[in-house]
Amino acid sequence: MATTYPISERAIPSARPGNGLLVLLTAMTPKQLESVLASLTAAFPAEDLLIASPDAISANSYPSLRIVAAPANNPAWTLTAADFVNAYELAEKNEAHAILMLGPESGSLGSPALRELANAVLAITDLAVPCYDLPPRAGLVNSAILYPLTRALFASRVRFPLAVDLGLSLRMAKCLADAARRFTAINQGETPLWPVNEAAVAGFTIEQFDVGTCVQPTGPDLNTILPLVTGPLFSDIKAKAAFWQRFRSLPHADNSIPIPLASSADAVADIAPMLSAFRLAYSNLHEIWSLVLPPNSLLGLKRLSTTGAEAFHMPESLWARIVYDFLLAYRLRTINRGHLLGALIPLYLAWVAGHINITASGTDPERHIEAVAEAFEADKSYIVSRWRWPDRFNP
Amino acid sequence: MQNNLAAMLQTSVNQTSQPVPADNASIWHHMADALQQSFDRILSLLIAILPGILAFLVSLAVFSLIGFALSALLRRGLTAARLDEHLARGRGNSDWAPSTSPTALIARLSFWACVLLGLIIGVSAFDASYATATALPSLFVPYLTRIAGAAVLLIAGTLVARFLARSVLIGAVNEQLQYARFLSLGIKWLVLVLTAAMVLDHLQLGGHVVELAFGILFGGIVLTLALAVGLGSRDLVSRSLERHAEHSGEHNAAPPVAPITGSGDSIRHF
Repeated sequence: MATTYPISERAIPSARPGNGLLVLLTAMTPKQLESVLASLTAAFPAEDLLIASPDAISANSYPSLRIVAAPANNPAWTLTAADFVNAYELAEKNEAHAILMLGPESGSLGSPALRELANAVLAITDLAVPCYDLPPRAGLVNSAILYPLTRALFASRVRFPLAVDLGLSLRMAKCLADAARRFTAINQGETPLWPVNEAAVAGFTIEQFDVGTCVQPTGPDLNTILPLVTGPLFSDIKAKAAFWQRFRSLPHADNSIPIPLASSADAVADIAPMLSAFRLAYSNLHEIWSLVLPPNSLLGLKRLSTTGAEAFHMPESLWARIVYDFLLAYRLRTINRGHLLGALIPLYLAWVAGHINITASGTDPERHIEAVAEAFEADKSYIVSRWRWPDRFNP
Repeated sequence: MQNNLAAMLQTSVNQTSQPVPADNASIWHHMADALQQSFDRILSLLIAILPGILAFLVSLAVFSLIGFALSALLRRGLTAARLDEHLARGRGNSDWAPSTSPTALIARLSFWACVLLGLIIGVSAFDASYATATALPSLFVPYLTRIAGAAVLLIAGTLVARFLARSVLIGAVNEQLQYARFLSLGIKWLVLVLTAAMVLDHLQLGGHVVELAFGILFGGIVLTLALAVGLGSRDLVSRSLERHAEHSGEHNAAPPVAPITGSGDSIRHF
């Protein structure tokens, strides 16, 4: 378990699991719902649970459970601002001590994992985040951008900052609801929120729990999802600039969380389409990239565009610099933000191709992701100085 | 009739055969007089509109200076009052880009408002002076406003063309269309041609020739793009149809095709 930001003044609620635990479910199919409810009833005494679901659940089907209706929400691939507002309002209305927010595939988490998440937030933790054991080639946007950025800027080792299953203390839920209301007030309730960043800024305790393998919900395609995820993350980083510009030491790594290893069954994925996408983009988007990236990065990309498929690998430092420059351009609105995030997609594909090449050569994928995160940390001074003095000459 | 014609011919022959007295001094005198009169007219015209031009320039310069001073004053005052910080606190956003902070925006807005005011007053002054300069063509001043409208149209059209060209280029590259640049250029020229036609129409230049030329050019570009996209994206369309068929379960025998974004079956981006 990795703990960050221990907090001093904290009224410890009853540590009894299930006492005032609100479980907020997202919209799911009847089969998923059945699976989740089975896991929950196996993990907690049924009388201590209060389940809120936007789906219509017949009281006769689960007579032992207390079920309340949650506001209907649009099925989304991640938790949104509207979900956090609903969660806090329901918790306040039902006088819950803590909240467990569960995504559509949370039935695959297992009872011990759910119990751990709930117990943590019923005790002293403010934010309990799961660490999924995903296949080596899954969750790549998270590995390439979300995790390294969150780790470098917010000094948090949470491996999945945009997890769909979360445990929240009441004050954490209030903090998130306050942040979420800024979006719902302007009718942008579908915007993803960044609980780890909010908790880090508020100085709340964060704990990460290994929850084993989990079926990940299917999301939109890459061209849709990358701008959808990176846009709100860049906005959030922009809003919290005063926080992350100060130096913060990263908590020690917790070795109790097993690192998923690449199994021999993982076939070498075909990286040719990604490379052709990158090369096509290099010949067409060079003009746009040159508005965002400094000459050094452009030179690195030029070299990369002529590298063969076998030796293809985007250096970690180059990738970190690219993401930081895109973040800076997002802040300065160097070009239209939609265009900017669209122009990042081929570069991300180049990173993925390099990552797959590395893992195919027998390197532990998690080790490579750690190296990427360390490159982001090492280059943090670059983003801080360019953030403060954007007009200064960039190398 | 024949007698009359003969008499006329006789007269003309007599006239041409008579020697013309060559008074060069008189011709030069007349020409110099005519040139002098033209020069006087131009000079009087310039004298008539010069106060207007001067009034326009003075008004623009004075209001620009006022705008500059007001902008500097506002910038200093708002920075002292910490407006950015107050707004950031209310909005939950603690960071503004240097060029988009509320203080900078207000200061810039005040400067350009003053410049615009100066322009309006300058044009009014010019208009007033023009009223006295009756020698000016009556369409001159209204045409100035039309030129301003055309300039706005041209700028807006160019910006829209650039935005759309970039959108199409990035979208097409991410869809791995090999002719992405061609498509982007096509869109750009489509909008630019439309803008040029609108500008000329606004200036009332060319008349039907512009409409005709615009129709031919626009139609030509659309046809070229349609042919290029139609011929070039057969694979894309067939892939899309196959995917649709796979989803609906009606086409189980569809051959496996790699997704456009290059993600194989074992790769999950999110």
